[in-house]
Amino acid sequence: MMSSKQFFVNRYQILGWTYKEVKLKQAIRINTMNASRDTVVSRLESLGIALEKIPFLEDGYWIRKSKFSVGATAEYLLGLYSIQEAAAQIPVTLFTELEDKTVLDACASPGGKTVQLANLMKNRDVIVALELKQRKMFALANQLERSRVTNTAVYNMDAREASKLSMKFDCVLLDVPCSGNYVTDKGWFSKRTIEDVYKNARRQRQILTEAVKVTKDGGEIVYATCSLEPEENELNIDWAIGALNVKVEEINCHGEKGLTNVFGKELDRSIEKCRRIWPDQTQGFFVCKLRKQA
Amino acid sequence: MKAINDFVAQFNASIPLDTSRIVRNRNRYYLLSKKLKQQVPKAFFYAGAYLGAVKGASFFPSFLLLAMIAERKANKLVIDKKTAWLFICGRDIFKKGILQVNGSRKGNYTLILNEHNECLGFGKILHNIREENDANKVVVKNILDIGDFLRRETRQSSRR
Repeated sequence: MMSSKQFFVNRYQILGWTYKEVKLKQAIRINTMNASRDTVVSRLESLGIALEKIPFLEDGYWIRKSKFSVGATAEYLLGLYSIQEAAAQIPVTLFTELEDKTVLDACASPGGKTVQLANLMKNRDVIVALELKQRKMFALANQLERSRVTNTAVYNMDAREASKLSMKFDCVLLDVPCSGNYVTDKGWFSKRTIEDVYKNARRQRQILTEAVKVTKDGGEIVYATCSLEPEENELNIDWAIGALNVKVEEINCHGEKGLTNVFGKELDRSIEKCRRIWPDQTQGFFVCKLRKQA
Repeated sequence: MKAINDFVAQFNASIPLDTSRIVRNRNRYYLLSKKLKQQVPKAFFYAGAYLGAVKGASFFPSFLLLAMIAERKANKLVIDKKTAWLFICGRDIFKKGILQVNGSRKGNYTLILNEHNECLGFGKILHNIREENDANKVVVKNILDIGDFLRRETRQSSRR
């Protein structure tokens, strides 16, 4: 019988990518609303932390060397930077404009992207952050307090019920719960089955449906997963194009074009505007920008 | 509101807070921007600038509130790098680690700042700092420091 690992690795091969082991580099993102990039870099270097600029991110750095945890420096505790994996820093940068906008972060915990949104919004205007799991609420609140975010309201709420807020948003970030990938979870192949992937894909469609409801006409939705499975990525976007009132927008970021042929199924051509990131310098990731049509 | 004002006064400080924008949610106080106040529903878990919480007769400030006080005229101590690190680790402050003193009377609260003037927390002054001659004497007792963010994570994960 084929192992779970072999099953998924074969799928990646069919999709055009050869599986490889990847050692994830720890990354940070500088919170420029709290201190300048140069200041933070020089303070960290003076502590003996060697940084490497991430070429495809404005405020991102890889940790090349550090004798201690970068999660225990005064600079971290003062909110001058956040620890955030490189690919995970991409989605928030894809919104065309965040200033003067009302923004929904629909699946917010642990809050790295919420802080990044606040940072790009210069801590002004309004972010509404939703998190379904009660046990994750305090971690999210701590992250906001530590990073000195003051433009956000947090609700213990399922993203699939966002319309209960009776608000409409200019921008919606959907960093949806997903199956994850083997780079960030060493036991991934032994834990995951294709049924998990299907189950997550169904929930993601429900979240997408609700997100479109609460987005203003002409508003933007950035959809992201850290899953490599096309059911949670290209196939969901293909479904959204047909079922919801959205179009895929051009984005310019790290990654390869989205797949337009998945296991023999031809998808909408616009899906190549999405970006699929196979594990290499970063974890696996998928990101896409949708615009709600009037 | 009184709890916040009374707490701030212990640093010989006052901060102009717009009371119409302060929201009490259970035992926690938040300062909301005009836009947040107008736009978001009240049943939030956390919103705007978290100011602190009341537990019994005590007020537990947030680090945002401490940073707001630090921007004003208030009791403050600037401490050296090594002392700052020890303070974040929960330790008290020796006289020899103090670089600058602003308000030094025994029994008062004082904000603790690093060499970059960033607020690391606060403490209680145990001896009149200017008059204390023994460099190795503990002169400020640590009450709250930013290392608490890490301790909270440990506490919260051990509760799960």
